Amino acid sequence: FPLLILGITESFGAGIHALNTSQLTDGVINRSKRMMLDTLGVGLLGTRTAVFNKALKYSQLFTSRERSSVWGQSDIILPPHYAAFVNGIAVHSMDFDDTWHPATHPSGAVLPALLALAETLPSQPSGLDLLLAFNVGIEVQGRLMRFSKEAYNIPERFHPPSVVGVMGSAAASAKLLGLSPEQCIHALAIAASSAGAPLANAATQTKPLHIGNAARRGLEAARLAQIGLKGNPAILDLDRGLGVYYKDYSPSAMADSAVRAYKWILEDQDVAFKRIPAHLGMHWVVDAALAAREKLQNAVGKFDLSQIRHVTLRVPPSKYVNCPLPATEHQARHSFQFNACTALLDNKVTVASFGDAQIGRSALKELLGKVSLETPEDNLPSFDKMYCEVEIATHQGPSYTARCDTFYGHWRKPLTLKHLVDKFSVNASSVLCTEGVEGVIDVIGNIERVADCSILGSYLRMTSNQEHLDRMRIL
Amino acid sequence: MISTVKKAIRPVWAARAMHKSAVEVLKQPVPEDTVTASFGKFISELKPQHLSPVVLHRSKRMVLDSIGVGLIGSTTDVFELALQHCQNMYAPGDTSSVYGHRGIRLSPILAAFVNGVATHSMDFDDTWHPATHPSGAVLPAVLALSDMMPANNKPSGLDFLLAFNVGIEIQGRLLRFSNEAHNIPKRFHPPSVVGTMGSAAACARLLSLDPIQSSHALAIAASLAGAPMANAATQSKPLHIGNASRLGLEAALLASRGLEASPLVLDAVAGVAGFSAFYEDYVPQPLQSPGNDSHMFLLEEQDIGFKRFPAHLGMHWVADAAASVHKILVGVGPGTVSPAQVEDILLRVPKSKYINRPFPESDHEARHSFQFNACTALLDGEVTVQSFTPAAMSRPDLHALLSRVRLEHPNDNPANFNRMYGEVQLTLVGGDTVKGRCNTFYGHWRNPLSNDSLRKKFRSNAEVVLPSEKVERLIEVVEDLDQLRDCRNLLSQLQ
Repeated sequence: FPLLILGITESFGAGIHALNTSQLTDGVINRSKRMMLDTLGVGLLGTRTAVFNKALKYSQLFTSRERSSVWGQSDIILPPHYAAFVNGIAVHSMDFDDTWHPATHPSGAVLPALLALAETLPSQPSGLDLLLAFNVGIEVQGRLMRFSKEAYNIPERFHPPSVVGVMGSAAASAKLLGLSPEQCIHALAIAASSAGAPLANAATQTKPLHIGNAARRGLEAARLAQIGLKGNPAILDLDRGLGVYYKDYSPSAMADSAVRAYKWILEDQDVAFKRIPAHLGMHWVVDAALAAREKLQNAVGKFDLSQIRHVTLRVPPSKYVNCPLPATEHQARHSFQFNACTALLDNKVTVASFGDAQIGRSALKELLGKVSLETPEDNLPSFDKMYCEVEIATHQGPSYTARCDTFYGHWRKPLTLKHLVDKFSVNASSVLCTEGVEGVIDVIGNIERVADCSILGSYLRMTSNQEHLDRMRIL
Repeated sequence: MISTVKKAIRPVWAARAMHKSAVEVLKQPVPEDTVTASFGKFISELKPQHLSPVVLHRSKRMVLDSIGVGLIGSTTDVFELALQHCQNMYAPGDTSSVYGHRGIRLSPILAAFVNGVATHSMDFDDTWHPATHPSGAVLPAVLALSDMMPANNKPSGLDFLLAFNVGIEIQGRLLRFSNEAHNIPKRFHPPSVVGTMGSAAACARLLSLDPIQSSHALAIAASLAGAPMANAATQSKPLHIGNASRLGLEAALLASRGLEASPLVLDAVAGVAGFSAFYEDYVPQPLQSPGNDSHMFLLEEQDIGFKRFPAHLGMHWVADAAASVHKILVGVGPGTVSPAQVEDILLRVPKSKYINRPFPESDHEARHSFQFNACTALLDGEVTVQSFTPAAMSRPDLHALLSRVRLEHPNDNPANFNRMYGEVQLTLVGGDTVKGRCNTFYGHWRNPLSNDSLRKKFRSNAEVVLPSEKVERLIEVVEDLDQLRDCRNLLSQLQ
């Protein structure tokens, strides 16, 4: 082949191989540590979900000589691929994990694979090695998403983590394994044949598997490349390569990784962390609903459901989060209507809002019956540009409207460190004892100084006594 | 270790009745008028009596051919690599056999994987219209799952064949949902799309999942489907079939444990792609459940093509055309064409980038090269398994011929396995031209391999790894598969 054809994929192979710890800037280190902490917290909380338990039972069919931990389980080990699988599922099980722009959930596809892989290596990677591999996985995802305009909008066809997530996992795993540039190329090529899950499974119990599979199959691709399997070395260059997942596809080479000051995408574009375990779009509508509710309360003196005649939501067009009457928690997490009404009813939306009892409340259903959706033309289906407006029309006459352009937690208005750590603590405490919770915070906080990252694994296995007792009871 | 799966009728359902979430499920109306639900119902309700004699006959031929190409495929480098990966990553299982490897057993998912890789490793496996390689995605999974069933409850040969045919039928139905599927693929490699779904369907049938679980198996499988064409003609291509087989099995197992997915995955929903994500045009049709009547299987209407040599289907047309030119030049009996005689070789073939390779460098590329297969047939009068060895590939005479090849893509030669042709026009030094044309190669569904030819191919493949007594016994067992009370007789002959 003329070298020109290999250019783009080759540049990625070279970049993955060559990027080193001295190129990690303070900005990138800081942001990626926040991502790691948040991911571990939501993952730990997610180990108590039904989907996680099904995946765990299934994965326990497999055994291997290599052993990797399952987060939040003191005594279960799995083959590394399946540890990556179940931990990835845990991370995405409640739609509580980070979101980036262009849209994907970057961390859940990468961190579970890296931690599972790290446990199998003959010499334990340092915290800095882990941090570097993690950032390689994130960077590759960011670069790939910039190959198409389609990627910039809320998806309609393929669920982005299933496309770029598996590539990021392959890149990160290849980095941690120290693969050659050529092997890195083939890791990407092999991973591409494991990419692509349709959006229809979003808002179902299977959606978390998209992240779990991205983590596991990216890791697998790197290991197959390590023993010499080859795929198409122009996989990123070709329309019939990664381009099959996009309607418009215009790839470009990875920036020169030999420079002292490498420009990481994460430095320019931060992630959003969620305050609510629901699709990102819900955060706008919840903030708007809470503000409209407050306006009503301030005007009238007290808030009473019976005052409400009608509720209008002005949202961007996106079919899979337009669900007037959700029946399952998965649907509820993907419903503008549900999240707005829960906010109006309870004056908050929390982890507990998505339980079966909450979803089935008659007061909520009654309120849902009063909701209509509008999709104004200026409301674009992009996490960078959308807004949500909630208008409450009362029986007495006046309407109360509030709009949210940027919710707290969005990359334009990031969570403070205190709130991020609080979120982690609340999540992790549901599963780990205090020593484990504080241990993880400490290790991640100082990860660039940690000599042996296996300490992280031991904290992730420190379940509380109560948790241990809970697990003894029936599911 | 592996827990064996019982074919019991509904213990899971009974346990779920204790949980509130299950009560919620019961309260909701089941959407019976969706395409997805119709597929779930079909998979669950199809019975052995719905298999007609023609379908039994054709599917047994597919089973035999698939086993044969899997057995010879177990000698390839890519198979070794896949096996090594499974043995490195996982503890030894003792459940499911690996083609042609006595003493090696793997857990069912991994056995399905490596046997699938073996089946497609040499591009020697069957091809259907619309285009896919149907058997390799289904058979390894059904075999692996049968090994997993408890000893006192193994499927009968008829159950086995039924599951296999469900897997084939589902693939055929899905391929008919789009016009895009009717042509040689450009974007997604079809086995990675419909093969995964077929495997899930077949395994759901063998596990006796109910209609809802069966439809969830399909939906879970959809999230595991899809691989780009760019990896065709590379060492990774065989993994598309291996993965289709194993991931379909996985989807069915997850569904049997109660995992739920989209109930509309096969339906066309504006703004949210399901299975439609893999196609530019998509018009799904519901599948009628047979009830008491017979069911018209697609296999009955549209037969399979079996390959005579291990290369992409398109190669068979140019090889047959080139072989006829060879025959004219050297007369009856052995002889060769000398490059010195040849001025120019013109191939008139459909336009398809991934099988247009002037100078292939690996056996994977050679199997996807009009030029290579035409020149080999010109030189040798035929293309065989041996044509893709390093020695054969590096012959100077072959290279000399390759450098004289040009391609033309006539407008009347569409990239479609039902309508294409292959033409070879040789211009000799001195000006004479010799032309050969093939409209339908021997082995195509319009001109199917005779039972004798199919068995001959099977023997030649299987004898590479199995002793001839086992080979003959396999032929007998597959021939009588629908009469077999217990498919262990089949399972025990594969290694």
